[in-house]
Amino acid sequence: MSVPDYMQCAEDHQTVLVVVQPVGIVPEDQFFRIYKRISSVNQVNVRDTQRALFIRYRHHYPPENNEWGDFQTHRKVVGLISVTSCSSAKEWPQTAERFHGQKELFGSTLYDSRLLVFGLQGDIAEQQRTDVAFYPSYDNCPDVEKRVEDFVESIFIVLESKRLDRATDKSGDKIPLLCVPFEKKDFVGLDTDSRHYKKRCQGRMRKHVGDLCLQAGMLQDALVHYHMAVELLRSVNDFLWLGAALEGLCSASVIFHYPGGTAGKSGARKPSISAATDTGKRHRPGALTTSGISADTSSEIGRAKNCLSQEDIIEKYKEAISYYGKYKNAGVIELEACVKAVRVLAIQKRAMEASEFLQNAVYINLGQLSEEEKIQRYSVLSELYELIGFHRKSAFFKRVAAMQCVAPTIPDPGWKACYRLLLETLPGYSLSLDPKDFSKGTHRGWAAVQMRLLHELVYASRRMGNPGLSVRHLSFLLQTMLDFLSDQEKKEVTQSLENYTSKCPGGMNIITLPDGLKLPPVPFTKLPIVKSVSLLNLPASLRPHKVKGLPGQGVTSASPFIYSPITLHSRGDDRTKKIDFQWVQGDVCEVQLMVYNPMPFELRVENMGLLMSGVEFESLPAALSLPAESGLYPVTLVGVPRTAGNITVNGYHTSVFGVSSDCLLDSLVGVKSSGCTVEVVPSLPRLQLSTSLPRSARLCGEDLSSSVCLQLFNGETQQLVITLENIGSETLNTLEMSSKTLTTKEKLFGDFLSWDLQDALSRLPLKPGQAVTVPVDIHAKLDFSGQENLLQDLNDDGISVTGLPISSPLRQVLKPRPENKQKTNTEGGTEGHSGEQKINRGKKNDTLEAVLNFRYSGGLGQVEGYYREISLGVKVDVEPSVFFTRVSTLPASSTRQCHLLLDVFNPTEHELTLTARNQQLILHSSECQRMAIQVDKFDFESLPMPSHDVLRQSSLYQQEEERQQAHGGQINSTLDLRWNIISFSCQLLSSLCSSGEASVEGVLTQLVLEHMQLAPLQWDVLVNGKACDSDVVADCKVGDAVPLEVKLTNRSKSPVGPFSLTVVPFQDYQNGVQNSELQDVVTFIGSNSFYIDSVSPAGNSTCVGALLFLYTGDFYLSIKFQDDSVGRDLPPASFCLPSVHVRAQDPA
Amino acid sequence: MEICKVFFHLSVSVILSPLQNYPLYIRSVPSQSELKFHYTVHTSLDVVEEKISTAGKAMAEQRELYLGLLYPTEDYKVYGYVTNSKVKFVIVVDSSNTSLRDNEIRSMFRKLHNSFTDVMCNPFYNPGDPIQSRAMFTMVSGLKSDKCGWLV
Repeated sequence: MSVPDYMQCAEDHQTVLVVVQPVGIVPEDQFFRIYKRISSVNQVNVRDTQRALFIRYRHHYPPENNEWGDFQTHRKVVGLISVTSCSSAKEWPQTAERFHGQKELFGSTLYDSRLLVFGLQGDIAEQQRTDVAFYPSYDNCPDVEKRVEDFVESIFIVLESKRLDRATDKSGDKIPLLCVPFEKKDFVGLDTDSRHYKKRCQGRMRKHVGDLCLQAGMLQDALVHYHMAVELLRSVNDFLWLGAALEGLCSASVIFHYPGGTAGKSGARKPSISAATDTGKRHRPGALTTSGISADTSSEIGRAKNCLSQEDIIEKYKEAISYYGKYKNAGVIELEACVKAVRVLAIQKRAMEASEFLQNAVYINLGQLSEEEKIQRYSVLSELYELIGFHRKSAFFKRVAAMQCVAPTIPDPGWKACYRLLLETLPGYSLSLDPKDFSKGTHRGWAAVQMRLLHELVYASRRMGNPGLSVRHLSFLLQTMLDFLSDQEKKEVTQSLENYTSKCPGGMNIITLPDGLKLPPVPFTKLPIVKSVSLLNLPASLRPHKVKGLPGQGVTSASPFIYSPITLHSRGDDRTKKIDFQWVQGDVCEVQLMVYNPMPFELRVENMGLLMSGVEFESLPAALSLPAESGLYPVTLVGVPRTAGNITVNGYHTSVFGVSSDCLLDSLVGVKSSGCTVEVVPSLPRLQLSTSLPRSARLCGEDLSSSVCLQLFNGETQQLVITLENIGSETLNTLEMSSKTLTTKEKLFGDFLSWDLQDALSRLPLKPGQAVTVPVDIHAKLDFSGQENLLQDLNDDGISVTGLPISSPLRQVLKPRPENKQKTNTEGGTEGHSGEQKINRGKKNDTLEAVLNFRYSGGLGQVEGYYREISLGVKVDVEPSVFFTRVSTLPASSTRQCHLLLDVFNPTEHELTLTARNQQLILHSSECQRMAIQVDKFDFESLPMPSHDVLRQSSLYQQEEERQQAHGGQINSTLDLRWNIISFSCQLLSSLCSSGEASVEGVLTQLVLEHMQLAPLQWDVLVNGKACDSDVVADCKVGDAVPLEVKLTNRSKSPVGPFSLTVVPFQDYQNGVQNSELQDVVTFIGSNSFYIDSVSPAGNSTCVGALLFLYTGDFYLSIKFQDDSVGRDLPPASFCLPSVHVRAQDPA
Repeated sequence: MEICKVFFHLSVSVILSPLQNYPLYIRSVPSQSELKFHYTVHTSLDVVEEKISTAGKAMAEQRELYLGLLYPTEDYKVYGYVTNSKVKFVIVVDSSNTSLRDNEIRSMFRKLHNSFTDVMCNPFYNPGDPIQSRAMFTMVSGLKSDKCGWLV
């Protein structure tokens, strides 16, 4: 006996074996359909008794196993059902003959047999035979089951008779010696009369009867017989049979203890419905009843005693197996016993002991096994290990079985079987083929063996001729085992992957195996590894802005509170966060990924693009090549949203080593993201800005689309032409322009930028491709005052070294500062250009920065209330043109005028002309000269006063400041100072001459302003009705009364006076001598002193007197205040009355 | 020739899936046919788990850490040891090496356990990572030389 039945279990001892076989040519599927129907009759309750007969069907049974039928009766074939096709009566005899031949094969042991004939009709079919049944076709055989039941009953009758025959055989007649095939020759020539021999015969027969009782459904009898057999056989040391008796005892006990069976669901044995509904517990006829045919030996009392306890079952199994182990030829029996014991232990949940039995089973040598048998053996071992919960061991044997399928000795390796078995080992190695299981947390399972298994899967699937599977498994290996692969292995794996993908590119489809297993796609999330995902805002010039104040704006806030310290924590789910910028439909937008390459070689990623949802999106894939073991590497993926709405970045797709993968961000771990959903607003027009000036580097701190940089002298003006072209696809409807001057340290006078937008606006709407131009004047006008310390330096060493003609009063006013002097001495060294250098240095950093903003909108975006801004930074490096180092005034001859003295310094390297009104001054480089300009005094009070609102808002200081500024502006406009650099720069041929205006605004001090202001008390002196001022000479005749009128107009805010004035005439000899003793030359008509009553604001007062000149000559009238104390609270300048020059002439 | 093979396993918790076992430290002398030992030890985990689960039921506290011989194969003997935190140690020795007695195996495990404790005390060691400790290396090498001594 060489073929073990690994499916055996203890309760199989209870069954009778029936072989179902085809005779002649029977279609396989038809046969198995019939076989299935036959085998459904696996339990038959025999008529008149309550006993049941269990039947085990086999469609194949090796006859040599049948020879062991005496040893264990359940191995004996007692029934034969043949199935045959017979289409015509002619074939019938031949068929019948074959049936007989088959019967003879198992002839010695058969109790009964049946032949099922399909397809035969006619006379033969009509005949009534008990052993043959005729059916017209395979589909038309309703009573097959009934036939089989009848057949089983007939078997039962034979079995029962045999049992009774043997059991009651107590006559002391010669009991035949039962023996197994290999024993036969051992007993030749033995003394058959010895007591020992007889006992042996008895013992073996008892055991046999026990088997029969068990089969016949008399469990208790069987137990009793087995016990007796054990005792008998033990006494004669008949170990093989002793083992069998013990095993029988175990089997009977197992059947008693576990009515549900030990085979589990994989076994063929299922409790039939009738039995299950019987009493809940499986009813064992013969065991629990006394109404059976033979209830003599069993009793209620003996039952529990005879039956083994659960622990004893295992002990007896062990004993039995150890006895079997003594016989080499009983290997199959031993193996099967082990298997049965393991099944029992599995039910008892005693895995450790079960594993010992299995361990033993592994070492049972069955001699030469065919490859197929080996595979079967390993598979069964694997199943049994699985049964006791040893998943790893199970997987190990399954893998061995798989390897056996493709052993080199096999001429036709079964790669498919191998692959299938390998797949079954996966759970044992904690492997699933879903990469999601490995994406989170630490690696699960034993990487070294997992890797090996995956390699084997790859190889097996390749040999199966399914490269798609190989690619999938290899991808999985690379993705999940990356951390465990050595550098060399990484190279090998990727190389073979590339080889496979050249034939069959890997994709994201789910591969379904024929047996229904689904292989999920393996996205390469680790090639490269993505560390962060950030959506990038559009460049500043393309960002959409929402028009503020539109209805529906600002009410979106979820909380009714303006501020709340409680923030809603959406823990860890920052990917769903919405981003506060927008993208625009139709414009390229960017997502930046930080990636790195974990491979020890260069990684080529092709076709890398974004996976978006929510909005129709056109992804523009990129290809990249990452250096080996690269650090974090930024990759920008771009695409164009084609519709408006909310867009979400779901992931990215790549193509690496020929495997394309879609990596979803949800499944990635450790990816930082600041939000993945962004709003896409409807399309807007796009403007491109170009200027007449060359572009320059960006200004710091501002988000500008472009900027220009130019160099101007202080006071110079330059025009900048800005061209705006619509390069988008939408029509531009609106355009606005604004400017913002960035804060500078320098004080700026006048408008820095000024423009005229009318022309451009008249050309709207602007179609795509069209352009408009906007001229902008850049006007750089900074403070023209020289810095104090700088001047001082100039004074200190400038004069002595370069001999600058700086006016002396300045030197007197400014005291030298020792520390500065020291500094320049140490710094300046030998030559005297230090002053000049200092100026250059001091003034070089003067830059003006401003931003020009163009706000435009159009298309659908305008409807939604969005606009765009494009900005141009303007940076002007202002070089000093002229400095007014000092400003002072000198009173002019007229009280209404004064002289403004300007000390002008030329800090440039060029010759410079300064013009003011009608004057012109030429200054050489680094030259300083004084310029005197005669100006009318200003009536600042006539300037419009700022409105009350402004007054209230601004502080007193600011008001003062503003006023001063306004005064300065007025002065400046009348001065009209302009400079002209004549020999400007040989390098810049285009602008040989540059000119600009200068401003004194910044230089004017309070004192100067006061001097230049008209006094609040305006005095007018009229002689002869003619207004007299310093330069005007009033003519009069000697002897005529000359009327003199003094008029006071109060321009101040408070009433003034009263004053008293005295008119004193005198003569100037032009040699410093003034003669006031003129009593006999000039006489007053009336009083020579006037009294002016207090004058209310804006009021005036006039007093009139008269003079009489007695001689000809030039006379001056000086009008003096009688008492100064009254005007104490007013500035002395207010009391400066013009002196009157009167020339008295002969009346002729 | 004798073969010493030391494996450490970390089980996050015994209640959890037993599939969490993975090697923290593997060392084999000599180093050829290492994969074979991987399989040997991997399958031995079944026994370890079975032993823990049965012993755990009996007396959780005063459980013996040493599990004893897990199972003998034709060529090797596999011994197991489980700490209270369910870290598993496995030693595989050549079954022809009969000089090794149970007590020696026990002491080897104890040394391993001490060494492992030292590794865990290292603040720079991240629990769950493969162990790359020089001290551990010398200690395991010491085990081997100890036994060489026994062999001589």
